[in-house]
Amino acid sequence: MLAGCSGDRSILDPAGQAAREVVWLWWGMLAFSTLVLVVITALWLYAFRGGRRVARSSRDEQRIARRWIIGGGLLLPGLSIAVLLVFGVPVGQRMLPLPLVDGQQAERIEVIGHQWWWEVRYPDAEGGEVVTSNQLMMPVGEPVDFHVTGADVIHAFWIPRLGGKIDMIPGRTNVIRLEADASGMFGAQCAEFCGAQHAHMQLHVEAMARDDFDAWLAARQSPPEQSGSHDAAREAFVEHCASCHRVAGVSDGQQGPDLSDIGDRVSLGAGRLAMEEGAIAHWLRHHQQLKPGNRMPSHDHLDAETLDALGDWLEALSP
Amino acid sequence: MRRLALTHPLHLVIGLTLWSLWFVTIYGGLSVACAVAPPAPEQGALTTINVALGLLTAATAALLGWLAWACLQAARDKPGRSRFVAAVSAGLYLYSAVATLFVGIPVIGVPPCL
Amino acid sequence: MSETAQTATPRDPQRLHEDMHEVWGNPRGLKALTIVNHTTLGLRFMVTGMVFFLIGGILAMLVRTQLAFPDQEFMAPEIYNQVFTMHGTVMMFLFAIPMLEGLAIYMIPKMIGARDLVCPRLTSLGYWCYLFGGIILTSSLFLEMAPDSGWFMYTPLSSGEFSPGPGSDFWLLGITFVEISALSAGVELVVSILRTRTRGMSLDKMPLFAWYILAMALMIVVGFPPLILASIMLELERAVGMPFFEVAAGGDPILWQHLFWLFGHPEVYIIFLPAAGIVSTLIPVFAGRPIVGYRWVVLAIIVTGFISFGLWVHHMFTVGIPQLAQAFFSAASMLVAVPTAIQVFVWLATLWLGRPVMKLPMLWILGFLIIFVCGGLTGVMLALVPFNWQVHDTHFVVAHMHYVLVGGMLFPLMAGLYYWLPLYSGRMPSERLGRWGFWLTFLGFNATFLIMHWTGLLGMPRRIYTYETVMGWDIFNLLSSIGGFVMSAGIAMVLLDIALHFRFGRPAPQNPWNADTLEWTTSMPPSAYNFASLPRVDSRHPLWDDPELPRTIAEGQHDLAVIDHGRRELWGSDPLTGKVREIVHLPGNSWWPLFASLALAVVCVCLLVRLYPLAGLATLAAVGFLLRWSWENGAHPRAAPDAQVQPGDPPLHSRTMDGPGLWAMSIALLANGSFFLSYLFGWFYLWTVSPEWRMPDASPLSLPLMILAGAALTAGTLWLEKLVRGLRRQDDSGLAPGLFAVSALGGVQLVLLGVVTWQAGLAATETAHDAVLMLGLVYVLLHGALGAILTLLQGLRVGYGYVSATAPFEPAVVARLWRYNLVVFWVVVFAMAVMPIWWGGGA
Repeated sequence: MLAGCSGDRSILDPAGQAAREVVWLWWGMLAFSTLVLVVITALWLYAFRGGRRVARSSRDEQRIARRWIIGGGLLLPGLSIAVLLVFGVPVGQRMLPLPLVDGQQAERIEVIGHQWWWEVRYPDAEGGEVVTSNQLMMPVGEPVDFHVTGADVIHAFWIPRLGGKIDMIPGRTNVIRLEADASGMFGAQCAEFCGAQHAHMQLHVEAMARDDFDAWLAARQSPPEQSGSHDAAREAFVEHCASCHRVAGVSDGQQGPDLSDIGDRVSLGAGRLAMEEGAIAHWLRHHQQLKPGNRMPSHDHLDAETLDALGDWLEALSP
Repeated sequence: MRRLALTHPLHLVIGLTLWSLWFVTIYGGLSVACAVAPPAPEQGALTTINVALGLLTAATAALLGWLAWACLQAARDKPGRSRFVAAVSAGLYLYSAVATLFVGIPVIGVPPCL
Repeated sequence: MSETAQTATPRDPQRLHEDMHEVWGNPRGLKALTIVNHTTLGLRFMVTGMVFFLIGGILAMLVRTQLAFPDQEFMAPEIYNQVFTMHGTVMMFLFAIPMLEGLAIYMIPKMIGARDLVCPRLTSLGYWCYLFGGIILTSSLFLEMAPDSGWFMYTPLSSGEFSPGPGSDFWLLGITFVEISALSAGVELVVSILRTRTRGMSLDKMPLFAWYILAMALMIVVGFPPLILASIMLELERAVGMPFFEVAAGGDPILWQHLFWLFGHPEVYIIFLPAAGIVSTLIPVFAGRPIVGYRWVVLAIIVTGFISFGLWVHHMFTVGIPQLAQAFFSAASMLVAVPTAIQVFVWLATLWLGRPVMKLPMLWILGFLIIFVCGGLTGVMLALVPFNWQVHDTHFVVAHMHYVLVGGMLFPLMAGLYYWLPLYSGRMPSERLGRWGFWLTFLGFNATFLIMHWTGLLGMPRRIYTYETVMGWDIFNLLSSIGGFVMSAGIAMVLLDIALHFRFGRPAPQNPWNADTLEWTTSMPPSAYNFASLPRVDSRHPLWDDPELPRTIAEGQHDLAVIDHGRRELWGSDPLTGKVREIVHLPGNSWWPLFASLALAVVCVCLLVRLYPLAGLATLAAVGFLLRWSWENGAHPRAAPDAQVQPGDPPLHSRTMDGPGLWAMSIALLANGSFFLSYLFGWFYLWTVSPEWRMPDASPLSLPLMILAGAALTAGTLWLEKLVRGLRRQDDSGLAPGLFAVSALGGVQLVLLGVVTWQAGLAATETAHDAVLMLGLVYVLLHGALGAILTLLQGLRVGYGYVSATAPFEPAVVARLWRYNLVVFWVVVFAMAVMPIWWGGGA
């Protein structure tokens, strides 16, 4: 059964405190509910068996009926929901982004939902803000506050194995606190329906030790190295892509995902395509078939050579 | 105004209407209070907002409980239809009173604006 | 007089039937479009609902086909999004609600011993609005421009910016159109149940089904207006650019969610209550004993009706509302389990103490119980906030919702259809084919949705058009899809069974299930008038008390068996005691409902294609038809050929001050009040919560002019009340001039308010603040105009002799509208013009 519960976005395979408490709630509620369902169904079936009915006085009948109604209709649900709240409310409270006890600051990560990709910002990184997209690195074993919002429509931020979800609403910023127990990779996906490509708005989440995390941030403090062999591609990029995409040190477009460390990511198109050699060039040619409706215009007017060169260069972009 | 007899069918809806008004008041009041003057998160659950909501809850529940008791008394010595209306009203008042307490209990332990 | 009625000599039932049919019977041919009879229209509602159910079912099968395998390319994403949006929309708005309304429209008069609903033309208007709205909405599918933002249409996704095509417009306009139908059914069901029960049927002797429908109808009346308001606001934003939900202009998309779920959650119980009513009707019959705990059930119904309005935020636990507020809604959501549990155990105790027989309808009830209890239990889980944060918007919720809706509505509906089928067709359904149908549906349903809970727990979000193998959801989705197809096979078999039974079913005896309620005393197949004479009721089980009722009713041995006056008559009784107060006479068949709804359909289509001038003309036409309809009322010769009644009988309602029309007006104003309160909620919500709301330093509305307009309105209302008091004393001196003067005062109010609106210079397309003000002013203006016009018509009717000291009824109805307008106006003045002086400006 445990195997059936696993999966990189399974609620039943928790990797953080919040998610774990919810799973225990779930198994408890499941056991109790199953019991209730079985007992009620059995009672009904028993009542249906008909036949040998004893004649009762109407007084007796009234007493029996009242016992059922008060016992089953009032006490059973009344006690159940009281118990549920006693267990449930504290669980919810422990998930609140309350101030930490010893003056500690929770790591702050900003996540902005776009149709259909994720913008991830680390405003407090030492040496200046770090921006990436469609991937989220977080430190392990410490609380992280995610400040989320939506750039266009409402999206929802959700890392199932770490804990609950929160909506990303234009004009508001919501905060959710999550913590990962151990390093590892988790799946995440937009949970609030956000249009044509809701299915392909996935986020790669990786939890890593604090040192690795700091190193990861530090590596993004300087623009990616540029080797001379990609000059042509870079020029094509500046001409055709730069107004939408940012590459640190090259362009500052804000419409589409930041591409400064794209060579380092595991997928393209917010989870649509695995990153491997030649993947970007393939994506540039076929992205409207792979992810119909996405906001990037087609590149049919560019010749194959340019697209290949662009792909090569982008794949090399890595801190 | 003449007092509304406890066997009047309006009592079938007054209890839960009071409950609804109370519910809207605490939800609306909380939202407005949090928009206008949110207390610092460090204060926890012991804030003016919680105390005010708690008092309102207790008062509403007491009123509803009293009405339930009154209707129950009225149901005692009435025949047929009047008894039906008063008894069901008593049940509804009682339910409303319990519902008020049950829904209001979180003000004891939950901070208001987080 | 009741004694004389009881002992009246038996008459020839055939002759009596022919005489009754003369007055009540349905015309054929083209004139069938004018029918207002509840039996015919209830049936039309249900057949139309079935057609939409099949359309919705096909859409569901398309969804399951797409999701059966990973990386499917069966449908493109934009098509898939239209399909699942329309599946939800069709099932909720075009199947579930109209179907149950149809059932209520069909059954209620028969169960409470009435010959028709109290506003027959309104039934007809409701049906046409439903049909035309449904056709307009579903046509979008064939034009491939169906709405695609999900059935709850969250903005900004559904806004002009992110859904530029006409899809959202189809949804907003089509649904609003269909909701006219729901509201009209709601109003007349309430009034019918409260005011037209047969002699002696006091509140505590009403069949439980009538209690359920009463609660459902009241919930429709209060619950639908918030969505109508939200739809109008979103459509205004899309069409004209009034930015109610646009953050940058001071609006807030969360307001849409509040208004939508303010409707959306009660709607679940609007669907569930009538279905539970079916269960509470069938179980005593098949257990062969009265239900135990009638009072408990009534209590549970009332509790459900109210509490369900306090749960809406549990659909919004993830929008970032303070946790304390979430705790309130969480607790309230759990509380609704109590009345449901009371009913489950009342049913159990009834079976326990009775001698249940397992006929086909009971099989469906058993299926209902298992599925619904399961759905209820997951519902309690979802009410728990931390768990909700995890499974919200996953397939777990999809599974839960189908357990509640299919278990809580479709299964009891099937039970009810099988139960009441003989009443309509005079034939019994087959037990064999029916059982196959049940088991396939039951097993297929559970295979689909029990597994879907698991898929959700494995993290599958709802509304994704595809997924990949690596996510580990393949096998569960495949099983769900297979289950879905098994279930459709079951439904197909049920429909086949029903179709075949009309031809091959064995003829049903009178009262085949040995039921206790009055509908089984009517003839099989049904007549248009239900009862040749209206029986007196002394207990909750009239047919068990007197099995001879069908005969004595048909022989005209009870009340109101005289028909040679040519009026369609039924009792107007006291809402509490069931004592007879007056004779209600109903209007006959009419073209006006069809014409009015056709004009409204033209409005709807013109708005869709953005032909605004034509839409304006069609609106005027619709108003014209409706006013013409209102003209043929009361003492108008087409409504009541003569006012003579049998000796000893009470007067006609139009000759009293206390007709059901007063109640209809009050209930309609209750709906209107719900609309207005939703609007006020919107105003205060945006004011306090909207992130970018800007309040101008000084209110743009001129307070002195508004007070002057209010003074005119107040004077008009007082004057009208004085005229009504006169009529109550049978004094109609100065009636016509008085009514004209009141109407003129209404005109003065309109002009002043028009000046206020014009002077304010509102930039309604720039800021949400001005847009909300504009909406409120237009609301008050329209109501003022309606009050003035109706009063003017009343003045004219005095001239025709339709309103006088002997026919004093109508001004009292109009006076209620004036009172409502008065309250609303001063509230608007206070909330929009006075309060901002104290708290507005820089705050």
